[in-house]
Amino acid sequence: MNQGFRIDNRNKSHLIQRDKTCVFNFNGKTFEGYLGDTLASALLANGQKFVARSFKYHRPRGIFTSGSEEPNALMHLRKNAYQEPNARATVTELFDGLEATSQNHRGSLKYDLMAVNDLFSSFLTAGFYYKTFMWPKAFWEKVYEPIIRSSAGLGELSGQEDPDQYDKGFLHCEILIIGAGPSGLAAALAGAQAGSRIILAEEDFEMGGRLNSETYSVSGLSGVQWARETLSKLGAMPNVRLLNRTTILGVYDHGIYSALERKTDHLATASNKPRQILWRIYSKRAILSAGSTERSIAFPNNDRPGIMLAGAVRSYANRWDVATGKNISIFTNNDDGWRTASDLIAKGVNIQTVVDTRSIDPVIDIPGAAIEMGVQVINTKGRHGLKSITLSNGKHYKTDCLGISGGWNPNVHLSCHHHHRPVWREDLLAFVPSEKLPYGMVVTGAAKGELNLSSALQSGYAAAKSISAELGHTASIENCAKSDEESTKNSAFWFVKHAAGRSWLDLQNDVTTKDIRLAQQEGFTSVEHVKRYTTLGMATDQGKTCNITAMAVMADKMGKTIPEIGTTMFRPPYTPVSLAVYAGRARGKTFRPTRLTPSHQWAENKGAVFVETGAWLRAQWFPQAGETSWRQSVDREVTQTRNSVGICDVSTLGKIDIQGRDAGEFLNRIYCNTFSTLKVNRVRYGLMLREDGMVMDDGTTARLSKDHYLMTTTTANAVGVFRHMEFCRQCLWPNLDVHLMSATEQFAQYAIAGPNARKLLQNIIDPEFDISNESFPFMACGEITIANGTPARLFRISFSGELAYELAVATRYGNSLMEALIQAGKEFDVVSYGTEALGVMRIEKGHAAGNELTGQTTALNLGLGRMVSKKKDSIGNVLSERISLNSDDALRLVGFIPVNRTKTLDSGAHFVALGKDVKTANDEGWMTSVTFSPSLKHFVGLGFIKNGHNRLGEIVYACNPLQGNTLEVEIVSPHFIDPKGERQRV
Amino acid sequence: MSNFKLVEQSALNQRYFTLGDISVQVVKDQALVSFAIPNGKRKEVNDAIKQSYNTTLPKIGLSVKSETDHTQFLGMQAEQFLMLFNYKDNRAVEQVKSRLNALVYLCDQSDSWVMLRIRGKGCRTALERICAIDLYKTSFPQGSVARTTMEHLAVIILHESDDQYLLMSPRSSAESFLHSITQSIENIS
Repeated sequence: MNQGFRIDNRNKSHLIQRDKTCVFNFNGKTFEGYLGDTLASALLANGQKFVARSFKYHRPRGIFTSGSEEPNALMHLRKNAYQEPNARATVTELFDGLEATSQNHRGSLKYDLMAVNDLFSSFLTAGFYYKTFMWPKAFWEKVYEPIIRSSAGLGELSGQEDPDQYDKGFLHCEILIIGAGPSGLAAALAGAQAGSRIILAEEDFEMGGRLNSETYSVSGLSGVQWARETLSKLGAMPNVRLLNRTTILGVYDHGIYSALERKTDHLATASNKPRQILWRIYSKRAILSAGSTERSIAFPNNDRPGIMLAGAVRSYANRWDVATGKNISIFTNNDDGWRTASDLIAKGVNIQTVVDTRSIDPVIDIPGAAIEMGVQVINTKGRHGLKSITLSNGKHYKTDCLGISGGWNPNVHLSCHHHHRPVWREDLLAFVPSEKLPYGMVVTGAAKGELNLSSALQSGYAAAKSISAELGHTASIENCAKSDEESTKNSAFWFVKHAAGRSWLDLQNDVTTKDIRLAQQEGFTSVEHVKRYTTLGMATDQGKTCNITAMAVMADKMGKTIPEIGTTMFRPPYTPVSLAVYAGRARGKTFRPTRLTPSHQWAENKGAVFVETGAWLRAQWFPQAGETSWRQSVDREVTQTRNSVGICDVSTLGKIDIQGRDAGEFLNRIYCNTFSTLKVNRVRYGLMLREDGMVMDDGTTARLSKDHYLMTTTTANAVGVFRHMEFCRQCLWPNLDVHLMSATEQFAQYAIAGPNARKLLQNIIDPEFDISNESFPFMACGEITIANGTPARLFRISFSGELAYELAVATRYGNSLMEALIQAGKEFDVVSYGTEALGVMRIEKGHAAGNELTGQTTALNLGLGRMVSKKKDSIGNVLSERISLNSDDALRLVGFIPVNRTKTLDSGAHFVALGKDVKTANDEGWMTSVTFSPSLKHFVGLGFIKNGHNRLGEIVYACNPLQGNTLEVEIVSPHFIDPKGERQRV
Repeated sequence: MSNFKLVEQSALNQRYFTLGDISVQVVKDQALVSFAIPNGKRKEVNDAIKQSYNTTLPKIGLSVKSETDHTQFLGMQAEQFLMLFNYKDNRAVEQVKSRLNALVYLCDQSDSWVMLRIRGKGCRTALERICAIDLYKTSFPQGSVARTTMEHLAVIILHESDDQYLLMSPRSSAESFLHSITQSIENIS
């Protein structure tokens, strides 16, 4: 098509590049526009006024604004998996190859089947879903709800994974300036010249704000030229960062702002680069110069394509050289509306009529236009596009575009994100930011209510100068730019009364003046309730063009003033954000980091099956040829370990290096049992309680020298225990001479367990180290060397219950050590075992682990009550003595075996005494861990049951109501294997 | 006599790569030893440092270099430092003990961290994508050191020289860390 609405005759805009044509597609038709166009300006240039359907009534809708406040022109952009719904045509930058389709219609845009809704509008008024579709009751779930759900929602997702990339990042500045309009630019230049570090963020791709849409002059230059010169100066300064295409979304604590930068949305392809970036901006101060948004006037049938805001009509003419009609009319209650008419005349566009609600003299001369003063527009005609308007004086005018100006609202949104309510200014007939603002924020320009250019420039300049001085930057700066003061006279005319027909307030959600009145009639008198009941001000535009007008309707109905009605609050995000950008690059395998054990490569080569334990990937078992189930592999690993020797990577256990003259005393306070008496080169099992007396963690701690201990923690609690200990060290007992350092990553540590463990180790340990039972007994430890001089640490501790050691070397040798141990154990038929076999053996041995250390169990519950030393104080000691925790029927950890040995035990099953009903009242405890014991050839389990230690031999039910299983089990000792501990001491 | 000889394995197989104007080097020849001062021994330890390394201990958040060799002291928290020095075997603690004539609490951290040196004009821009620290030249001048997180991973960052940073992150997640750095560079190049 030929861009028939492009203004060509004179005063061409420099903000579109007429030598760079962009071919784009809308609803299957091909159009042309120019680089610098938005999709909206390009559509209008091609005469496409009817671009969308409304949400509820599916009324034809056109482009209403020229900015991010757009309620109507929502589009699907791109195709297939790249499709994005609800893109606003008014902020979509045109590029060659852009594909857009209209949304919210069944059938074509012109012949929408759902347009039938408009005929039933009386059934679909505010809150209709609370009042209609109530009968017959059975229809709701099967008929009404599915229909309503399928009709609801704006736009459609592709249903496919988003192939685009997204990223996040962090930026820092001294002054964040939000909005690069006249006030923001003046602020940025003053602040930067003073020496402040500046970030200037602008949601538009072209910085300059309203200067790009107006014909004002600034310091002797056109507004556009001044903006460009200012940007050129700013761009050359190393302390300035210019972020166009960047929307500040939210204001958070401590001067932190979130921002969305659209990096490649204006390009045909992202070239595998992030499409958008979510920035977290840390600022010392912020200047909110977000400008203002024009508001509409409500009158019957004010929603037709071709009816738009007057300021937008002016923008399309001045910035994009687009006439939004051949015969344009203006409906205004203020002087600014007249400026649209005069600018259009200057561009050679015909003005049909100017209708002003005020009974005053015409503001300026508009040659060739009919001037109607003290008159209102009371109706319009034109199903798919405006054709005529009817005035309150009975006159009709043929017109194809009506620009409405109801005044301007300062963009206060970001000033409210800390719940500071804006305040009403009667002289402006608008809300402005209150004096209470987010810490560090200053508001300038139109956002503050400085609606004329001169004061906007001055307020930005003054704010930046003052803030810079506060920050210690006082370099000399040039004088503030100057401009003439234009008239901003306004009047309180919000909506046309006493005229037939529906008057739209919220174009996006199809909310009319009648809906607001109905809501109040039904008892919704709070503005927040009205919003939720009617959906006023919801969805992508958040009612930026209509909220105040709706409040005026409320005020009129209730006989109150607008400030008495109040305003709804604004919350982040300021404009819609794709969910994907919140995920950033954290998708798929890179969703979170992965930790690999020192022997990971070896295990991978051996075909290990891995399991995620927190961020760690651990070998779960090592399948061998011919094994068809995990049980076969695990049973083999257990059996071979118990019969000869097995090796397991236990490097994931937390390791904390504790040094200092008071290290022993520190551990006495951290653990409930005593460690200051532990001999050098010995290890002790330790139990750590929380303040409330519950078990926090357990593990072994070795004393390497007089003032040097090495603690191990469970894998899961490694970080938490270290953090807890640092807190105790720094905050509770700062006078103790003790220092902590995490050594978890420093050592590769392997458990070597089984009757042949010592023999295996003797093959690799350097010969000068004697590890016989006499020289290196159970719970011994020491510094040794292995494999011809590699330093190592050896601990004789056992989780499996077998003769066992844990051998640690610097992590760099971990993979090699695993290979060497396997080699050294070949003669003993050594086996590598994973976490499953580890778990089986610890249950067989009766050792508590994560399933038992739930944070809700005490030392007494675990059968370790005597470990809580009463000879010293320790964290949790006092509260562990609570009577309720020490009653005779307290839970005790015991073992369970099925009476019928062929049966399977269920972890999580609850215990009920024989003969009693299976119900909560009879619950006596639960099974925590179960396993098939390859050693005993039947299932065994650990669990807590009331008074369990005195009930050995008793039969109870183990009930699993979820699966309908009830099984008789016998209470036994938790130590299924070697209850006397003889194996580990040989 | 054992027949075995253990072989060292680096946290990362790669040694060096370049993307655009940014290079990343996997540092494998540096020891890292944590170093804590016993209560009340600050002066003795500082004197010993002066004698052995001809420097004084840095403030928290800063680093100093020995004037006698390339040993660096990084101020990490109250009375706790990291020492970074050239290194060949795996006896870093003994190396320090043999040189420093003072009682300090030492813990070898050489195998705990993977070290990446990122260098080039755009490296600060790349790090903006993952590093919450303000790396601007006046906020984080040369010699500054800080603990932070990048992509959920603990990181120590040292500003070595213009457009050059040393990054240290736990060894077990070295692959994830390298990926996050690489991705950041790719995203800006």
